[in-house]
Amino acid sequence: MEALLTATSSDYSREMVSAPPKSVAGEEVWIGQAQRSDARAFEALYRLHVDKVYGLCLRMTGNVSEAEDCTQETFIQAWNKMLKFRGDSAFSTWLHRIAVNTVLGRIRKSKREQDRIQAVNDAQPARVATGDTGELRDLAEAVDRLPERARHVFVLHAVYGYSHDEAAEMMGIAAGTSKAQLHRARRLLVQQLEEQGFEA
Amino acid sequence: MTEKFDDKLDRAARELATEISPKRDLWPGIAEAIATPKRSRWTPILAQAAAIVLLVGTSSAVTYIATKDSNGPIVSVAPELVFEQAAFGGNYHLGPGFQDARNSLRDDLDVELARLSDEAREDVQANLALIHQVIIDINVALEQEPDNVLLQQKLLRAYREELSLLRRVGGLTRNVMRRNDI
Repeated sequence: MEALLTATSSDYSREMVSAPPKSVAGEEVWIGQAQRSDARAFEALYRLHVDKVYGLCLRMTGNVSEAEDCTQETFIQAWNKMLKFRGDSAFSTWLHRIAVNTVLGRIRKSKREQDRIQAVNDAQPARVATGDTGELRDLAEAVDRLPERARHVFVLHAVYGYSHDEAAEMMGIAAGTSKAQLHRARRLLVQQLEEQGFEA
Repeated sequence: MTEKFDDKLDRAARELATEISPKRDLWPGIAEAIATPKRSRWTPILAQAAAIVLLVGTSSAVTYIATKDSNGPIVSVAPELVFEQAAFGGNYHLGPGFQDARNSLRDDLDVELARLSDEAREDVQANLALIHQVIIDINVALEQEPDNVLLQQKLLRAYREELSLLRRVGGLTRNVMRRNDI
């Protein structure tokens, strides 16, 4: 555990697993064109943001197939709601909000959390697709095994850096609940990682 | 677990990848879904507008049949029937010919309505109010989607329906006057 938690940014640089920075110079133009139902411009927006959306969906669902479906649904909903985007926040943040709603909506609809856990276990080889290596991969898998709400809060707050207020607003819960779930997530992660032989 | 430990856990969490490329291209599925006609959030309004226009037409015909021989008392027009300047969304304006015809009929509306029976006048006023509301709703929708051809067509149809009803009101009362003269 100590080794895991002392990993430095040079050891596990995000740039190792993320797509290279892409130009967003055309983003504003593409948004305007997509708002006028230009599918090509919307495809450009998709190419620019798909990794961010898929990453969030994968972290929140812990399942490749679900994450793919959520990503597609997120962009379809974004297309249908393009006129509602007013630029009050970054386009990527707006997409993230839609993605979170999509994930939560699908979970509410399906009520298949047990199936999801089983699917995650069955799909372990796909974990490589996240780009996490070594002990970070162990942490990612431990996050996947967290209870639903604790996992979502941990992903939004600890992984993606949203404040408790922002995460709570996205999930439709109180900020205090978000803090409590983060606390719970941390405790459970420690337990899981210790069971795997890591020392805190 | 100490606060220092929490910090380390958070630091490790922030090292997790936030941008992950899907294994397959998800765009074709999205492209297929968005290629189908986009369901406008104004669809219910359009459906309502179409239903109201149909209702107005039917009701007007019934009004005509029921009141063609009547000669009602002189009354003033309900204040809610004061018309707005004809508009066509945010980007378009109706032609001056249409506007002149509309203004002329509107100016005569008080006199014409006063010649109808109470029942007929209420029918006409209700129908005009409905059309007026439809026009307002569609104009609001057009402000959001100024290039929506379906909305433009619906708005034109609503204006035509309004014009037609105004003309029919004039026709009704002129018919009544002729009968009285005889």
